[in-house]
Amino acid sequence: MSRRIGVWCVALALAAVSAACPRPLKPGDPLRGLSAAERDQFQRGRVVFDSVFTPETGLGPLFNADACGECHEDPVAGGAGDEVERHATAFHPGGTGRPCDELVALGGPVFQQRVTPVLRAAVGIDSEPVPPQATAVAARSSPDIFGFGLLDAVPDSTILANADPDDRNGDGISGRPNRFFDGRLGRFGRKALVPTLREFNDGAFPIEQGVTNPAAPAEGTFGDRAFPAGTDPTPEPELSREGIDLVDAFVRLLAPPAPQRLSREARQGQEAFARVGCEGCHVPSLRTGDSPVTALRHQDVAAYTDLLLHDMGPELADICFALATPTEFRTEPLMGVRLMTRFLHDGRATTLEQAIELHNGEAARARDLFRALPPGDQAALVAFLKTL
Amino acid sequence: MYRFAILSFVFLAARPLTGAAQQAPAAHDSLKGAIRVVDVSGRALEVTTGVGMALRVVRLQVSGATRVTAAGADLPLAQLQPGDVVRVSYGGQPGGYIAYAIERVGRMATGPERTP
Repeated sequence: MSRRIGVWCVALALAAVSAACPRPLKPGDPLRGLSAAERDQFQRGRVVFDSVFTPETGLGPLFNADACGECHEDPVAGGAGDEVERHATAFHPGGTGRPCDELVALGGPVFQQRVTPVLRAAVGIDSEPVPPQATAVAARSSPDIFGFGLLDAVPDSTILANADPDDRNGDGISGRPNRFFDGRLGRFGRKALVPTLREFNDGAFPIEQGVTNPAAPAEGTFGDRAFPAGTDPTPEPELSREGIDLVDAFVRLLAPPAPQRLSREARQGQEAFARVGCEGCHVPSLRTGDSPVTALRHQDVAAYTDLLLHDMGPELADICFALATPTEFRTEPLMGVRLMTRFLHDGRATTLEQAIELHNGEAARARDLFRALPPGDQAALVAFLKTL
Repeated sequence: MYRFAILSFVFLAARPLTGAAQQAPAAHDSLKGAIRVVDVSGRALEVTTGVGMALRVVRLQVSGATRVTAAGADLPLAQLQPGDVVRVSYGGQPGGYIAYAIERVGRMATGPERTP
């Protein structure tokens, strides 16, 4: 009898522990603590995110993908993709005007790589041509977008507090903010141009899929020309307000993958990560501010980014963008980096070790200290990154 | 009857004024963005604006009636520079867009509300 009671007690204790420790969030899960209405929006938004557009439903005439999920798909919707797109701008430092020309009037800065059959028949092209005025063409890989709602909720003041444009603390790292064309602080995109997640989502539809929406109601141009008559038969906007709201909810409420439990080696690597100075740019944690979504409000997010621009050296340099010079890139968030198979803004690195080796400029000191680590510590640092 | 006559007079007298108001270009759009080009001799501006990565350049004619200001004071067109952040009210005309009012509100490099 007493043995049976003991078994029941153990079972109850295990059940209690299990209930107190919810399962770790997987890629593609929503944030914890959503209301029923928010969960409903998330689920419905995923359907729109995965919707495949056709020319009849608004795709094109120029586009890079026919669905959000075409590029953000691995391992689940919201993940990374193997697609690489083309951006081009012109950089003219030392002149009287702004040094960066985003070539907007010539179809830039994103030059779409696919066209609808009707546009191909009308103008005989397979992609939007990059104009000769471009001084650089950049390859841009598709990152995962897990946890971006949390990045959106980080106050500007938090980002600016990490900026040190003149390197007054003498650590060789001088993060500075990029700004959108109306002067607001940028944070999204590889050059930190876009101030908010909502705007990034609103603008992604026309740019990536050629799908207009109420916030971005105008179809782009073909180079510096309007599309020929009959090549864009779907009336604007091609995606409704409700549709873009749902996609925004899905993206905003995607949880970052939970960091994995640290092994002894990974703990050693975490210490090495801090010791060699990676944390100077890959700031381990940012705290969100106020938000209408409870699950986004006043949360610590293991972002491993400062959302600022840093000079990464001439080897990685490509395009300018707003205030960002060709060598400057926003610190890539490392949350979910264990799910990536290609690294850096253009996917040129196939291993984390390669990615570290390609760091230069402000990151040269940290890279050199990594190189100087004993092999065991190098492996431990990489093991730590593979827990994020 | 007397009151009706007065009201009729007021109505008829007001009609030409209403017509004149309709002829004046009504601001029907506005934007905030960074100046790309200032063409002083051509009395034109190009402003980069947009949503997210979906950017556009708006070319605006600046007429003699366009008010250009900074911090509430009038500003010659020539004092606007590439990289200035401006708020513009504008409307469509047969030859393109015309700016009704241009207010410099900052510089891209330093953010809004911080005029140089």
